[in-house]
Amino acid sequence: MEYNGGAVVAMVGKNCVAIACDKRLGVQAMTISTEFKKTFQVTPKTYIGLPGLATDVQTLAEKFRFKVNMYKLKEEREIEPRTLAHLVSSTLYERRWGPWFVEPVVAGLDKENRPFICSTDLIGCINFAKDFVVSGTTSNQLYGMCESLWEPDLEPEDLFETISQALMNAVDRDCLSGWGAEVTIITPDKIITRTLKSRQD
Amino acid sequence: MNSIYQAAIDHPVSVPIEHRFDPYVDNGGTLLSIAGEDFCVVAADTRQSEGYSINSRYVPKSVKLSDKTVISMGGCYADCLTLTKRIQQSMEWYHHAHGKTMSTAAVAQMLSIMLYQKRFFPFYSWCILGGLDEEGKGAVYTYDPVGSYERESCRCAGSASSLIQPFLDNQIMFKNQETLKKNLPLDHVLRITKDSFTSATERDIYTGDYLEIFVITKNGVEIQKMDLKKD
Repeated sequence: MEYNGGAVVAMVGKNCVAIACDKRLGVQAMTISTEFKKTFQVTPKTYIGLPGLATDVQTLAEKFRFKVNMYKLKEEREIEPRTLAHLVSSTLYERRWGPWFVEPVVAGLDKENRPFICSTDLIGCINFAKDFVVSGTTSNQLYGMCESLWEPDLEPEDLFETISQALMNAVDRDCLSGWGAEVTIITPDKIITRTLKSRQD
Repeated sequence: MNSIYQAAIDHPVSVPIEHRFDPYVDNGGTLLSIAGEDFCVVAADTRQSEGYSINSRYVPKSVKLSDKTVISMGGCYADCLTLTKRIQQSMEWYHHAHGKTMSTAAVAQMLSIMLYQKRFFPFYSWCILGGLDEEGKGAVYTYDPVGSYERESCRCAGSASSLIQPFLDNQIMFKNQETLKKNLPLDHVLRITKDSFTSATERDIYTGDYLEIFVITKNGVEIQKMDLKKD
């Protein structure tokens, strides 16, 4: 899990959720890309963040895109975030004895626009959190930042500031993460994605 | 039956058994220190643990060395205790020889030398020395277990250090913020300290029980104690 590095965090706000990731891809100490984003849109109102081994990040992103597309064809509706979380969990547990080295984060709004976030470990145990979830090599630092900075019912603009500060300061204390960040705020009417410039080291 | 024969019967094949004694134990806990314009804050939780057990809910990690200097140590409590004793003894010798108390900078260098003297069987202690320098400004010196030291404006150490340090970077050093850097007043620093510990207590199992804060100003050292979650 510490081969490529990476950090993902998601937070709940007032009728909105935010998900953010760093952009570094490294091979241990060497950085080889600064445009490797770890969050992917799965439905118009749901995002999934996949930090961990980069090859598994790419493979699972495509697997989930496939599974979600098939779900839409069969069910003729978009997948709910809670259902997606269980889909992620089963997909990971299928490989219980040879796991995918990722610890995904799911963030989105359900059909009543209620915020939903959760994270899972690499074999699919879901952590349904009400406030924030963190994942990746920077998880300790992110726990510290989120625990101090988060408060309930933040408006989208305030949530953006909070999650950005949490991610930027946390990755500055982790050599395997950083090199920029991408923050996505999901609200009932729109999704705003912003790229942050942080310390480039 | 003679026990050694019993052992041979129970284990007919003899294999070399290595007996080892692991000299280090991690007693957990977190400490932090912030240097202000004319004050210094040294804070540490008071929980002492060993693995998943709690040895005690109140074992202070910080010690007042003089009216201007406080040291706080985390890691192996036995090593921290001995190291503290040695520092206090050296400070007393110094006082008798020179007729004055050791300054914070002098203690800082002495501690570095003391730690390096055990380079090949180190004190497993993460030290943070906090105090006022000769000009009355706040000073924080941080150490690694073998004596590498540096003066900084804020630092945390111990089990929850990776959780708190980025928060201190953001709130004390104003990193990643466009806010104009300014000197923080004591009450603001105390609030940040308390928030850091309550957050750390939530997420780190080795941090909790009570928080002891030593505030060093030109008037001396004041100690505040507050409760943390005990779970």
